[in-house]
Amino acid sequence: MRRINSMYGRIGMLRRVSEKLTKQSSDTFLASHSFSTHGGYGGDGELQQNNSKVKIFDRDLKRIHRDRAAWLSSRHKNNSFVDAVADNLLDRLEDCKKSFPTALCLGGSLGAVKRLIRGRGGIEKLIMMDTSYDMIKSCRDAHEDTLDNSIETSYLVGDEEFLPIKESSVDLIISSLGLHWTNDLPGSMIQCKLALKPDGLFLAAILGGETLKELRIACTLAHMEREGGISPRLSPLAQVRDAGNLLTRAGFSLPGVDVDEYVVKYKSALDLIEHLRAMGETNGLLERNKILNRETALATAAIYDSMFATEDGTIPATFQVIYMTGWREHSSHQQAKRRGSATVSFRDLHKQFGGQSES
Amino acid sequence: MVRLSRFLLKDAGNVIDKTLSEILVCPLSKQPLRFCEKTKSLVSDTIGVSFPMKDGIPCLVPKDGKILEEESEASKA
Repeated sequence: MRRINSMYGRIGMLRRVSEKLTKQSSDTFLASHSFSTHGGYGGDGELQQNNSKVKIFDRDLKRIHRDRAAWLSSRHKNNSFVDAVADNLLDRLEDCKKSFPTALCLGGSLGAVKRLIRGRGGIEKLIMMDTSYDMIKSCRDAHEDTLDNSIETSYLVGDEEFLPIKESSVDLIISSLGLHWTNDLPGSMIQCKLALKPDGLFLAAILGGETLKELRIACTLAHMEREGGISPRLSPLAQVRDAGNLLTRAGFSLPGVDVDEYVVKYKSALDLIEHLRAMGETNGLLERNKILNRETALATAAIYDSMFATEDGTIPATFQVIYMTGWREHSSHQQAKRRGSATVSFRDLHKQFGGQSES
Repeated sequence: MVRLSRFLLKDAGNVIDKTLSEILVCPLSKQPLRFCEKTKSLVSDTIGVSFPMKDGIPCLVPKDGKILEEESEASKA
């Protein structure tokens, strides 16, 4: 696979550099498995995890995508979808009486989160983390331009799957549309939980299974017609029922999940692709077909238009966002009572409230 | 005025931010990091990897880490 990549010009160059480093750091990579999910996950689970760790996404490619998104987003100033998601996420801070002095912001739409905090949640120190250096750099430059010094911001380049944060050191972790590109989402969430102080909050927004279903259908049809087969073009996305499981598996208490659907209208399918590029959300699957025929691309756009176009000629694209919230355990949280410790039976409850219920 | 502050920050880029120095650990071993003045990088002694700092921003992605050669370890010791 690496040989084929070397024919791809500048992407090949970047790959070769990282290859050198992987050779050097390959030993550390082997060591990393035993460290990445230490504590709270169970020793016997670890060995199995090493063998079954599936690599779905190409993380190096995602870094390159995010670099490109950093360059493109300087042109696409109004990204209303991303702003809406970040706003919704930060609104949840208003619902909490607690204030969060130290906050960590993981990848995704960093700039939007930072811009839209506006003093919510009582955040004093903000740490921005992303896998791409260019993205962090452009965030820092934007910060210096606005001269907004009310929140002390620090910048850091890091990988969500290998969180370089000490245990119990941050009050709040926010990730807006960043975690759906991790290979090991449960592992990342466990590391996030460990990094949180007791009674710390984890807020994440990830894309759900219904996202871009129109694009998925159009791509599949076009491919089947033109090439007689399909290759994965859309990444596997979480379902709502999985989100709840993820939170409990990571060990968060008081988990909460809710879903929101946003329909964004574009003038053409190409505009949709441009927007995805600017957000850094283009195809990052390891199994992807690296060649896209011009005819297939045009066929996709045509099918999209004919199947889904609205009366005024624009095409809609659905983005389903799943918001997850979880807290790190603390003695003040509600706990389920021990089995057999019930003091009131259901029969008594039914007698008390029976007149009001329907059954 | 903004340009001036940017230049000042660039000079201070070699010193690690106080908030970060309290919170950062090695991404692979979760052990504390040491700031090496000579190479302007963060060193994780437990596994012998150094992570670079570009323009004051620590790059703690495992891919960016360089395994320290034995000679430089000897010179530090």
